[in-house]
Amino acid sequence: MLKKTLSVWLWLSLCTIAFAQESFNIEGTVLDASSLHPVEGATIYGKDIFSISSRTGAFTLENLTPGTYALTVSSMGYASEEINIAVKPEMQKLTIYLKESATHLEEVEICGKTQLRENKEKPIVAVAVSEVFLKANRENSLMQTLGKIPGVSTVNIGSGQSKPVIRGLGFNRVAVVQNGIKHEAQQWGSDHGLEIDQYGIENIQIIKGPASLVYGSDAIAGVVDIQPNNTPELHSFKGEVNLLGESNNDLFGISTGIEARKHHWYYRGRLTYRDYADYKVPTDKITYENYIFDLHDNNLRNTAGEEANASFSLGYEKDNIQSETTFSNVYAKNGFFANAHGLEVIVSDIDYDSSSRDIDLPFHKVNHFKITNNTSIESGKHTFLFDLGFQNNQREEHSEPTPHGYMPKPDSTKERIFNKNTYALNVRDAFSPNDKHNMVFGVNLEYQDNNIGGWGFLIPEYNRFTVGGFAFDTYQVNPDFHILAGLRYDYGVTETKAYYDWFQTPRNNPDGTTSYIYMQRAENKTLDFGSFSASAGLSYIHNHTTYKLNVGKSFRMPLANELASDGVNYHMYRYEKGNLDLDPESSYQLDIDIDHTTEAFSVGVSPFVNYFENFIYLNPTSNYYETLQIYEYTQSQVFRVGGEVRASTTLFNNLHLDASAEYVYSRQTSGPKEGFTIPFSPPLVGLVSARYQFKNLLFFDKPQFIAEYKIAAAQDEIVPPEEVTDGYQVFNLSYLSEIDLFNNDLPVELRIKLNNVFNTKYFDHTSFYRLIDVPEAGRNLSLSITLPF
Amino acid sequence: MIASQTAFLYLYKMKQLSKFSAALILLLFLASCSSDDGADKDEEKPTITINYDDGFPQACEALKRGETYNFRALVTDNQALASYSLNIHNNFDHHTHDDQEGDCSLEPVKEPVNPLLVVDNYAIDGAPDSYEINIAITIPNDVDTGDYHCAYSVTDETGWQSRTSVDIKIVD
Repeated sequence: MLKKTLSVWLWLSLCTIAFAQESFNIEGTVLDASSLHPVEGATIYGKDIFSISSRTGAFTLENLTPGTYALTVSSMGYASEEINIAVKPEMQKLTIYLKESATHLEEVEICGKTQLRENKEKPIVAVAVSEVFLKANRENSLMQTLGKIPGVSTVNIGSGQSKPVIRGLGFNRVAVVQNGIKHEAQQWGSDHGLEIDQYGIENIQIIKGPASLVYGSDAIAGVVDIQPNNTPELHSFKGEVNLLGESNNDLFGISTGIEARKHHWYYRGRLTYRDYADYKVPTDKITYENYIFDLHDNNLRNTAGEEANASFSLGYEKDNIQSETTFSNVYAKNGFFANAHGLEVIVSDIDYDSSSRDIDLPFHKVNHFKITNNTSIESGKHTFLFDLGFQNNQREEHSEPTPHGYMPKPDSTKERIFNKNTYALNVRDAFSPNDKHNMVFGVNLEYQDNNIGGWGFLIPEYNRFTVGGFAFDTYQVNPDFHILAGLRYDYGVTETKAYYDWFQTPRNNPDGTTSYIYMQRAENKTLDFGSFSASAGLSYIHNHTTYKLNVGKSFRMPLANELASDGVNYHMYRYEKGNLDLDPESSYQLDIDIDHTTEAFSVGVSPFVNYFENFIYLNPTSNYYETLQIYEYTQSQVFRVGGEVRASTTLFNNLHLDASAEYVYSRQTSGPKEGFTIPFSPPLVGLVSARYQFKNLLFFDKPQFIAEYKIAAAQDEIVPPEEVTDGYQVFNLSYLSEIDLFNNDLPVELRIKLNNVFNTKYFDHTSFYRLIDVPEAGRNLSLSITLPF
Repeated sequence: MIASQTAFLYLYKMKQLSKFSAALILLLFLASCSSDDGADKDEEKPTITINYDDGFPQACEALKRGETYNFRALVTDNQALASYSLNIHNNFDHHTHDDQEGDCSLEPVKEPVNPLLVVDNYAIDGAPDSYEINIAITIPNDVDTGDYHCAYSVTDETGWQSRTSVDIKIVD
């Protein structure tokens, strides 16, 4: 049914070909036929001639005499193509489109690599994010960059920190996985970032739906899977330096990475440093409750920060074995808006306005150290994968010590300290007994040890051990029709440790006397949980249309803070109470994805329906504890429905248009907030963008101009203590280009972006600072230059 | 919304899946168009104020040691009030300020020795929609004089909260 797969188009080239007397060159570009992205490392060979396509897909065959040549173009994951080309004077550039091969991809899938075809065949509703997308859309944090994907948004605090939200659910309901290991940072809170270096990432897969089957607890709403980078080419060395400057928060960032490979051995390294000042908002005063904070020079006081990251990995690949060990360390220090420590309004003697670059109290700093090893061994019909990980996450929150309630003034600024070690081991066997079946059996083990310090108590010390086993089979009915079914069981034990206040609280005794006691906030308790997950789905490819349907049950184990909190959250100015009786969350979801992509246009729709048996959330009660409102972890049934629509087309060859919309409707159908939505529900959002590719101009190659328009509806679906957020419209512009500065096939990449062109004052309903009425960042001009070497 | 219409067109080309997914999408858009099914939801916060004749204390009020005062604030709600609290603590380190108009001049920063601390919670019975908080407090003779901060808060049965605060002084 497939006609000859090769399409070779000769088209008027934008540059003319250089040729010497008597001998000619063939110049061309190899592109992926579906995505039109360059195919790097494709081999182009004929009799006595050979070339490999570069990073941009370009290749040159030199010193040819006139005549007809038979060329074979091949690349891993693509069907090899043969073409005949007549070499003569004034040749035009070749563009060769390679189609992905279905047969080869079965192997690629085992290696865990991303390919468009593989994604199409997978019944799971997933979005593959390429390095090209990341480069073109890079924002201040990795998650803000991913926020442009329909169905993905972020919970932000300040300018540089954000967490992923998939279809309105975030925090511990979205698992972030890097190199096969679940990233264990401070994902439970709204006031910390992700703690991953966003540079040097090539492939991300986003699953927009329950994915506990493979990823275990926490993947109840989705997964952001940051996949290992592709193995460097044989006998290669390459590197890049990226420089970034931003006007809004006077950010300066530098990141440099190298990768090299001998034959079997390869390594990669990266260093990143970013330093930024307070960010500017398009207002000169913030009104919160009855308070008014005047802003100096539009600066959101004390939101400056810095980030320093380093990573190194060493890999070995030979025959059937591949192994890579990665060491990484991410350090960040950020200030918090000074007029309100969380929700509490505070006054300070600190002269915050003397410098917009300094980081005064309150601030936090975090260090995330991680070692991972990914090893795969192919043995006959089996491929064994081992992911081993160790993570240490150390977070310190500092604030000016103030007395509160019966707590006297503490003697240090260390409000809260968390030190968490996580050990993880995943073992998987991917087994293909024949062409039809692709089975995967796996075991995940994780042990976590959380220690606390500081004068504020929020979550207790705990140890947690989880073990899960799963099996799933992808059955190929025919090359265009795949069925997946799988089952998983998890068991977990959480041991919380007792905690007593460091200060005394008076208690009235029945006999009229008063005693002073160290209040107990957490007890020694061992809790265990077990849960089944399951998933079944199908994918059907019919010509240009891919249909997917998936039903799944996912779960999430309650966290220590949900189980055992019992203290004042000074940051949020409320009393938080855990509930030892919480059950693991279980969620049932039906996902559908229909995608129709031709060379001319693409449309897609991905609706879902979701039901939570027992959604855990922090419910504001009407009671007080020592004059602070009590928020209690509660479970309720939640019904959600929503989805995304997307469309894109290319007009006049050079104009690419994209449009998408996303919406989620959520309702609690039981419990104390029955009839309300769930916290941080994103509004209806539409995103339209136009990308125009110009002709090469002066020294600019492939100049592109991108205009982007985001429209968000008002969010009047709220739950206490949220406030209704008005709709808004934001307009962004960017200009991308390559500059062949050194004439060496390694073009310098230039990116200029103007975000919030009209300096619009608007509020993001899912931003942490929304609660204190702080608008989003104002106009920002950023300049990024990537120098390859 | 052009995108969605185009999506619909393609949907109808489908046979087996189409009815199901079309129904889902319809549901999605119906859901997105309806904004009213929360008619009986309580989305209003209670109110709280000391800005009326009997409201007490007023900004910068000086309270004498040994005297008894009635702390009074007016609270209302669209449906049902639930609880309130009164918190009086020292502001000797100038860590906080009130939400009333005008600034009181603060005395120099000092260390607390025996500061007054009131940390009281009360329930409001009968779920009324308006209520006057009235708490009699005698300022002990032995507490530190100086700057204090007095904060009221109130919740309704839904869990909405409102707060107000005022800077006061305790004098001899």
